[in-house]
Amino acid sequence: MPCERKPMRYGHSEGHTDVCFDDEGKCIVTCGSDGDVRIWESLDDDDPKSINVGEKVYSVALKNGKLVTAVSNNTVQIHTFPEGDPDGILTRFTTNANHVTFNSSGSRVAAGSSDFIVKIVEVVDSSQQKTLRGHDAPILSVALDPSDEFLASSSCDGSVTVWSIESQTQVAQWKILQKSSDVSNAKSLCRLAWQPHSGKLLAVPVDLTVQLYDKNTWTHVSTLSDDLITQVVNVVVWSPCGKFLAAGTVGGNLLIWDVEAKLCIERQKHEKGFTVCGMAWHPSGVRIAYTDTEGCLGLLEGVSSSSPSSSSTTPYCLFLFYFDYKNNFKQSHSAVDDDDDDLMPATGRPRNRGSFLDDDDNSQDAGSVKLDGVPEEDGSSAILPAVGPAVSRPVYEGPMPTQPQRAFQPGSTPVHLMHRFMVWNSVGIVRGYNDDQDNAIDVEFHDTAVHHAMHLTNTLGHTMADLSQEAVLLACEGTDELASKIQCLHFSCWDTHKDWIVDLPKGEDVRALCLGQGWAAVATSALMVRLFSIGGVQKEIFSLPGAAVCMAGHGEQLLIVYHRGTGFDGDQALGVQLLQLGSKRRQVIHGEPLPLSRKSYLAWLGFTAEGTPCCIDSEGVVRMLNRTLGNTWTPVCNTRDSCKSRSDHYWVVGVHENPQQLRCIPCKGSRFPPTLPRPAVAVLPFNLPYCQTTTEKGQMEEQYWRSMLFHNHFGFLSSSGYEIDSEGQSQAEKEQQELLMKMFALSCKLEREFRCVELAEMMTHSVVTLAIRYASRSRRMALAQRLSELALEKANQFQEEELEEEEPTYQRLAWNSGGSRQMSSRQAQVENGCEEEEEEEEDYPQEEQMDAEESTETRMPSKYASLLKLNREGRVNPFKVSGAGKSSSSPAGQPRTTNVLDSMTVSSRKPTPLGGTSKQGKAPVLKPLAPKPKSKTQATLLQMSASKGSSKKLENSQTEAEKVKPAPAATPPASVENVENRKPKTGFQLWLEENRKSILTDNPDFKEMDVIKEGMGRFRTLSAEERLNWTEKAKGDSDPKKRKREDEEQLNEQMESDEGSAKKKKPLDTSAKLSAFAFNKE
Amino acid sequence: MDPAEVEFLAEKEMVKIIPNFSLDKIYLIGGDLGPFNPGLPVEVPVWLALNLKQRQKCRIVPPEWMDTDKLEEIREQERKLDTFTPIPSLYYMELTKLLLNHSADNIPKADEIRTLVKDIWDTRVAKLRLSADSFISQQEAHAQLDNLTLMEINTTRSFLLDSLNYMYKLRSNLQPGRSQDY
Repeated sequence: MPCERKPMRYGHSEGHTDVCFDDEGKCIVTCGSDGDVRIWESLDDDDPKSINVGEKVYSVALKNGKLVTAVSNNTVQIHTFPEGDPDGILTRFTTNANHVTFNSSGSRVAAGSSDFIVKIVEVVDSSQQKTLRGHDAPILSVALDPSDEFLASSSCDGSVTVWSIESQTQVAQWKILQKSSDVSNAKSLCRLAWQPHSGKLLAVPVDLTVQLYDKNTWTHVSTLSDDLITQVVNVVVWSPCGKFLAAGTVGGNLLIWDVEAKLCIERQKHEKGFTVCGMAWHPSGVRIAYTDTEGCLGLLEGVSSSSPSSSSTTPYCLFLFYFDYKNNFKQSHSAVDDDDDDLMPATGRPRNRGSFLDDDDNSQDAGSVKLDGVPEEDGSSAILPAVGPAVSRPVYEGPMPTQPQRAFQPGSTPVHLMHRFMVWNSVGIVRGYNDDQDNAIDVEFHDTAVHHAMHLTNTLGHTMADLSQEAVLLACEGTDELASKIQCLHFSCWDTHKDWIVDLPKGEDVRALCLGQGWAAVATSALMVRLFSIGGVQKEIFSLPGAAVCMAGHGEQLLIVYHRGTGFDGDQALGVQLLQLGSKRRQVIHGEPLPLSRKSYLAWLGFTAEGTPCCIDSEGVVRMLNRTLGNTWTPVCNTRDSCKSRSDHYWVVGVHENPQQLRCIPCKGSRFPPTLPRPAVAVLPFNLPYCQTTTEKGQMEEQYWRSMLFHNHFGFLSSSGYEIDSEGQSQAEKEQQELLMKMFALSCKLEREFRCVELAEMMTHSVVTLAIRYASRSRRMALAQRLSELALEKANQFQEEELEEEEPTYQRLAWNSGGSRQMSSRQAQVENGCEEEEEEEEDYPQEEQMDAEESTETRMPSKYASLLKLNREGRVNPFKVSGAGKSSSSPAGQPRTTNVLDSMTVSSRKPTPLGGTSKQGKAPVLKPLAPKPKSKTQATLLQMSASKGSSKKLENSQTEAEKVKPAPAATPPASVENVENRKPKTGFQLWLEENRKSILTDNPDFKEMDVIKEGMGRFRTLSAEERLNWTEKAKGDSDPKKRKREDEEQLNEQMESDEGSAKKKKPLDTSAKLSAFAFNKE
Repeated sequence: MDPAEVEFLAEKEMVKIIPNFSLDKIYLIGGDLGPFNPGLPVEVPVWLALNLKQRQKCRIVPPEWMDTDKLEEIREQERKLDTFTPIPSLYYMELTKLLLNHSADNIPKADEIRTLVKDIWDTRVAKLRLSADSFISQQEAHAQLDNLTLMEINTTRSFLLDSLNYMYKLRSNLQPGRSQDY
């Protein structure tokens, strides 16, 4: 049976407590040793009505608006309910009464006292009393049977006695209890209970069991027990249908039996294991309230609902479903068994979150649902009115529909509160006051530079509000006479008319509203969204597929969540639409389902400060849209993890991606904060639910993906033409690459080389070179080799993209020549790769000259070799550097050239057309020399996917075609010459030149490729000294400034000095990464 | 050292404020402060908090101990024990005075807090006087006083030192040999 134990909450001070429901089940009434009776609207009610009835209250009973309490001043008092006014004293004892109870009709009250006496009093005329004497010890409990014939009492003298009320004589007595001297010493409270309606059975808690006695024969008919019960049973209560019996024990166990089947169908444990001393079954039968001796109140939700287990054991239940459609309650389905004469409702209510647990505005509705829907038990009639017509329909056992959640404004507290937050967002706070003196709205801005605080009288009765940097939008629902109104205070307006009001058509009510930049949107009860300009011009209207739940706006984005359909079993079925207003209008998310946790509802919806949609459900799970993974929602935080107690919550007021902050207000024991004292904002960190975050690997993975996710907005912002914080972006880039590097190092340490390569695939090109160096330094040659393949592949891939994007030379020149433009680190990093590309590119023509139908396999080595030697002024090629560094520092002691060759020969899978064909093929789609945003997109492209790039490409292809034309045509020939001249040669090349002929004579049918292959083979067979000679020769040939690569340190210095002029970022970057290595190597 | 100087020292204590303006990090000799985001609590020294408050640029969040329940507990503890109890802040008196004088509107139950802190202060100063008294009457050479705050020490320092000086003089005058010098 899916019964849900709600968290306990503090109700009274420590000591004995008692609990009951009112007749309709709208309120929970508790009493405690602090002398108060509290009336709870729901378990989450933070302001229960308190009535002080005396110094200590021992027992409470409620029926027909009369609240009867047994108080420590030896009286049994009546108070009116729900007002709580004293309504006289019902009876007095010489010491205090221990238990009071009503009969089923509410006409009589029975009370058992510590002076051994039981009294039965007519409620209307307290002079009509019947006194039952016969017990020899304080009375523990009394119970009146439904037919008003008998009274059962249990006493500390160890007996349970049944009395005939009329004759005031004992009918039966069982000495089954343990004797004790006083109630306080008694092992059990021994609360008795008659089966409702028929009164056929009397349930008596005896030690670890519950015994059932038959009314007709006064014999023991059965015993209910369970292995879970380890301590004595304190309280028993029957379900309103009489089918089930619930018991609470001293050890805090809560059990429910199906009496017919003698089957324990529900076992729950008090969360702290305190003694359960009061229990009450909700009139609808779906929940049980219980209290413990520590003064706490708890609730079991969803008991005796129509779960398979319960319906199989109890096929004779009546199910009543009520759907709430515009407050018309219709009994849509009911079913009852036909062969049982006890017709009783064990309702399976459609709502899993009933009114008692619904702390938000839904509760209002739910209360009335119950009121209208569930037959009231007046007690006078044992058979319920609703039952009759329902007989003989089939039993419905499927999932129960969920009550659709009501529309709400994100960041607002429930409407029924007198003082509430109408909205709290990143701009400011709008508070609504609706008490006796005042109906007003206070608008306050976090940043007083936006606008000064405002105080408005709320004559229209606005209940919804939103606040932006430009305006305050208010709305009220319509009444019979007045239409629903939207009011906008456009304070940033430059003319004198700062506000406007719009009436909605008759019968159409505002359900949700939001403000964006320069626009306002309103969702109405007519399933429509109306857009307005901020100045009050009506703009587009469109229909929604379902009733709106809430909306949020940010810049040009409008996010709408609506009911997609009926949810079942407590789940909501919500759909989400994301629209891009402004210049390029489109729908980004077309009504996909909004993911929520199981059995939860939407609690907050909005955008991060950077403009990424975010939602939070009632389980506290924060989800953020991941635009790079097809607009999926990623859980980024669970606020409940940070809560100290289960009834604490965080009320979110804002989400920021940079810095990563979840701004929220901690609420102790409630879901939302009160307006006073002014709540303070706390900041929670994000934490993606990755596996094994206790391990270093898991942690880094979580950090990496969090960083990736939280920096998606850069791509989005730049693609939608906003300025972005390039500083921040570069930071993020660096962080991500560092994390990858750390993970790489970790995997290396764990000898997970495959994983290393996987990680390297995620790295940017320049970092891969670092990885290669790391790998070779830690003597993982196989890994280093694979990585160098990967590096080449990346380089090519990148080059392709590069070519699609733009003519690189220009950009490079711009970068190198001025640095006047601000560079993002992406750029910085990209630049490295970029230059390399350029160099490669420049090499190609030369290669092409050398042999026309070459394969890359052959081309690459020479090109690479040349690259390695190449050191042009002002051009930095870290790839080259690290390639050299790797080989020189490689502890294997292999000659460098060999190593380079090794790594080169395997690069055969690179497609040939890179240089020539692809360039020509892609030329028309090159991008213009666009400044910032372009390069950023390029960055995204590099890292994420080509999809975005291709779409961009299409958009821009037209304009760029012309600009690009001269570039590929002109550059290659020019560079051919240059490169040819400048290009230094490797030892191998020199050797090859000399030996080409001999190879060709040996193998006349060799093509160029084969020649080089053969050459390499031969070159390798040479002795080390010979090879060295060749290398020396090559050195002499080439640029005299060529650096020495023997020493790692020197290399770094060189790099620094080289790069110093061009850009500052890189050396820092490298050293940081190096230090990361150092750390990881230990 | 006068109380104003002690108060000056107290102003370096950090306190949380909720700014209503936006400002990037500010770099001061004593350390970096901020960044200031409207609506988001940030820790700043008291001197800055008060300055901002006076310019109505922020709300001050009272320190955690500035709460009637906690102070009541401390007061009870202070009254119960003969020695000085550890106090939540070394500058409790100064901070209370500064914060309550300048931003009483941001501190719930300001008056009660003022009374409570005054009570604690009185209790402690009374203890201090009492111990000074017994110190002198028993003619002890040294005494150990733990958990005293600067302000408390400061209130009694000049008086105690001066009186010890005078007593020393008087006592040395009593010695027969010395008295003849005069």
